[in-house]
Amino acid sequence: MADPKKPRPAFAPWDRRELPGAFTVEESARRVGHYKWVEMRLFEALGGWVATVPELDVKMRLGTHTYKHAWHAELWHKRLPELREMNPERLTQPANDDVVAFFDAMTEPEAPGETIEKLVGVYRVLIPHKIAAYTYHLNNTSQITDAPTIRSLRHALDDEFEDWRDGEMLIQSLIDTEEEVERAAAHQAQLEAILVRGGGIAGKGSIG
Amino acid sequence: MKRHMQATELARDERFVRISTEERFNDPRQVPREPGSKRRPGPQLRPERHEAPDAARAMMHAIFTGEIQALEGAGRTCWDFEVGADSPFELKLDMARQCWDEARHCEISVKLGDHMGTEVGEYAENVVLFEAACNPDPVLRLTGVNRALEGLAIDVFNTMREYGQATADPVLEFCEDWMLADEVTHVKMGSDWLRRLTENDPERRARALEFQRVVDKLFSAGGFRGDEDDSPVKLARRFRELAGFTPAEVEEISQLSRQARAEADAAVR
Repeated sequence: MADPKKPRPAFAPWDRRELPGAFTVEESARRVGHYKWVEMRLFEALGGWVATVPELDVKMRLGTHTYKHAWHAELWHKRLPELREMNPERLTQPANDDVVAFFDAMTEPEAPGETIEKLVGVYRVLIPHKIAAYTYHLNNTSQITDAPTIRSLRHALDDEFEDWRDGEMLIQSLIDTEEEVERAAAHQAQLEAILVRGGGIAGKGSIG
Repeated sequence: MKRHMQATELARDERFVRISTEERFNDPRQVPREPGSKRRPGPQLRPERHEAPDAARAMMHAIFTGEIQALEGAGRTCWDFEVGADSPFELKLDMARQCWDEARHCEISVKLGDHMGTEVGEYAENVVLFEAACNPDPVLRLTGVNRALEGLAIDVFNTMREYGQATADPVLEFCEDWMLADEVTHVKMGSDWLRRLTENDPERRARALEFQRVVDKLFSAGGFRGDEDDSPVKLARRFRELAGFTPAEVEEISQLSRQARAEADAAVR
């Protein structure tokens, strides 16, 4: 056994975490507030859509995904005071008006025959943007000082990847004709354009 | 997507057949209980009764459609109300959690339906559960759904769990026991939110409890759920108390059920 009194380095040779990060406390808090706003709008929409989709498998999946995004919202809600924001509601805001417009457009489909549009908005536009925004944050923030945010980002990303796959498979199982391919693509393009205008879910200056 | 939809707008595939409460209660298959009586509350889940397997299948299908509506109701509560004093962020998180639980219950019910030999659409669907979930006041909605309807679910799951035990069906018993655990959580959620949101508003609390009484009586379905020997679904007193009901509140539901039964008997006389 190694001598317990022998000095060892504070960081093991395989631990290459770095101190510097791209985000200050305030910037991290601002992004986390945007994430919470987005996760809230998303879980509310998924919950509302459950009753409007006739496809039984989609209905049950949306119910499950509703909770996952609510849980993400709760993670971000709890992180805000730890980032010196003692009034979490103050930072629970959309990044800009285009992000609000995006959510308005994404939640517009309501009729039972619009399941493709509902799923495309979430799983082909919003969730890929969330994956990008969360990954951008994960890869750019300080690996030591912002470790609690990193942990939440990783939990959220695990869910996002899984849900994206679920949603994409549901979409593929619903699209049978060229007309439906065009419907899905047109709706995706319309929503993507709005979100690009807004610079993604966290606003301009980063990816996602 | 608009806020506050109607039960008539619920989206279903072509297997589902919807009937009204009136049609359900006037179903001629509600055969007499005794030679001298004109009606009975419904078939009993006793293994020695020849109609028990069919009754269990029908109940499983009713559980399945009830779970779909419970999922839809919890989902609409996430959507219908803005975060505010009336529907705090934490309440919406609870409703989202309930969505996941109800989605799982739908999955379990479909698989149990296969296990018991029935299939989606074999029995008609009545959407009275979702109607209670359309109340525009979040406190009344929570009380009607989470205390009255989820309370009924406790009674139903306990009855089915005991039927699983009595018929030596470990799959049924196992699944019902898990769902029963979730329902106790949902009822407790409803009781906690009722208390918190009406802490300084006794008049609103009284209205919410009155709404619960109406729903409880409706769901006693002429004595279908109650404390009588021949009630197909028995009041699960122990689990209700675990979920936050006081013994007096459970007794009140028992009385409502007796009242509902007496009124139904009088109606067919």
